[in-house]
Amino acid sequence: MPDTPPAHVTGPTVRCRWCGYSAAGTGETSCPRCGATLAISVRSDTAGWSELPPVANMTRIKLGDSTCQIEGQTVPVADFNLRGNDGIFFSHHYLLWRDVTVSLNTMSIAGGIKRLLGGLPLFMTRATGPGHLALSRDVPGEIIAIPLDPGQEVDVREHMFLAATGPIDYQLRDSNIWFQQRSGQNNDDIETFYPIGWYVDRFFSDKQPGLLLLHCSGNCFTRMLGPDETLLVKPTAFVFKDKAVHMQLHFEYPHSNQTYTGLNPRLIGYRPKFTWVALRGPGRVAIQSAYEPMEGEYSRVDWSSACTNRTW
Amino acid sequence: MVDQAIIACHWCGSQSPAGTLNCRSCGAPLDARNVVSDSGWAAAPRIRDMVKIEFGQSTCQVEGQMVPVADIQLAAGDAVIFEHHVMLWKDDSVPVANIALSGGIQRILGGMPFCITQATGPGHIAFSRDASGELVVLPLHPGMEIDVREHAFVLASHHIEYSFVRIKGLANIFFGGEGMFMDRFVTRGQPGLLILHGYGNVFQRTLKPGESILLEPGGFLYKDSSVKMDVEFQKIGGSFLGGKMMAMARVTGPGRVGMQSMYHHPHHEKK
Repeated sequence: MPDTPPAHVTGPTVRCRWCGYSAAGTGETSCPRCGATLAISVRSDTAGWSELPPVANMTRIKLGDSTCQIEGQTVPVADFNLRGNDGIFFSHHYLLWRDVTVSLNTMSIAGGIKRLLGGLPLFMTRATGPGHLALSRDVPGEIIAIPLDPGQEVDVREHMFLAATGPIDYQLRDSNIWFQQRSGQNNDDIETFYPIGWYVDRFFSDKQPGLLLLHCSGNCFTRMLGPDETLLVKPTAFVFKDKAVHMQLHFEYPHSNQTYTGLNPRLIGYRPKFTWVALRGPGRVAIQSAYEPMEGEYSRVDWSSACTNRTW
Repeated sequence: MVDQAIIACHWCGSQSPAGTLNCRSCGAPLDARNVVSDSGWAAAPRIRDMVKIEFGQSTCQVEGQMVPVADIQLAAGDAVIFEHHVMLWKDDSVPVANIALSGGIQRILGGMPFCITQATGPGHIAFSRDASGELVVLPLHPGMEIDVREHAFVLASHHIEYSFVRIKGLANIFFGGEGMFMDRFVTRGQPGLLILHGYGNVFQRTLKPGESILLEPGGFLYKDSSVKMDVEFQKIGGSFLGGKMMAMARVTGPGRVGMQSMYHHPHHEKK
């Protein structure tokens, strides 16, 4: 976590700058809980963003008796060695390879129909050991390891989730970030846009600590927002936030004396705008440097979820 | 003390004199340790920027690291074969000719006939693919046979025999009815150089006889022809909506199998 004090080697104990774990004198070069390289200083910019600490090739993360090894650096692979009945859950299309001994089962998810409508996988797959199983996504980027202690909750933008260990629980929540463009004679043709998707995945752990793995495109940067500190973030660059961080839509209209009237009927009456998610602290937020195109980038806002506006 | 003056490359096995930083046959760094995961996958060596690889009388220089370029300096009489769409630039003077492919199977690539081109030295010619990844350099000894995922091949030296096989059973399952081809590279009397491009990161594992793993079809990159590949299904999701069948490739040893971490499904591109 970026708010943790800078790592310092006090006697035999090394503190991980990313997750705060104190590794007692084992001589480890990477954090056993999140895989971050220990003996480096976290790179931060003057604005307050910290680069995700690098995970060295072939780093092992401990998950109880099992381990997860992070392999490769362009499109990293999470290679789980599941012992006994240890299990993880993941979305089945991220499966890269597995041992014959690993069993796969379907995990039911509350809100199946909503997920289906939202274009998300309808089910999660649970893999149980013993054996190896490896996951990867299909874009260059980084794997973000987020250890979750009991009581910690994070909200993750859809499609960022790679895998979570057994103790972690999962809930599908409305993103409540949307806007509509109305057209037609009676204003009854409604197009609705969801800049960060219909749903947000909330991950938490009730009793035991667990590990959540996300995959971002490009590089990941995190930052700690103070109470009421607000930041505007490109919706499709948003990765995750602590539950305490408040999120809502924000539209910004640059100074202009004319509206755009191109030949495209959708654009008639359109004013150039910036669509943002406004994130208000306290808590941690993360963004990725490579983002997908955003829904409704060039659409008019006639109606929307709670939002703020600014016209220059 | 002669034996101490030789270093064997952990990737391709060829020997270089002590003090050499990079293997001359495959470009792998010789002063870096072999990186192998607990599960037995060896990461393909990260070839240093501008490293030169020798083959025949010619050299190949590997340039760049996100989307590496294979820049070939062809000696007179040497030639390389490649798929026409991977060519990045060439000297005006280097002649190129299409190679007639045996077997009457029509293979279409993006609406155009699939063709293999040969460029003959002397001169420069350079190749790259269209996505971030790694160049995998496989020097082939005489008598080797390697099967490669279609369109993953960047170039082969002209002593290598090229053919392709259509995998009938896998066609509809893997690639939405388009059929799957594998390029087959065989060396007879002479060694050759084969360069592939893998999306993301590339790993290689050697399977023992009878040992098998299940691999995401889009993650498959290459295998020795002794490795057997079959399809296996698993039903995922058992709701009233019927769930979905997941296809995995079962690869069974003995032999090497290569995997790319950014799996690739050509039919996604056509949407």
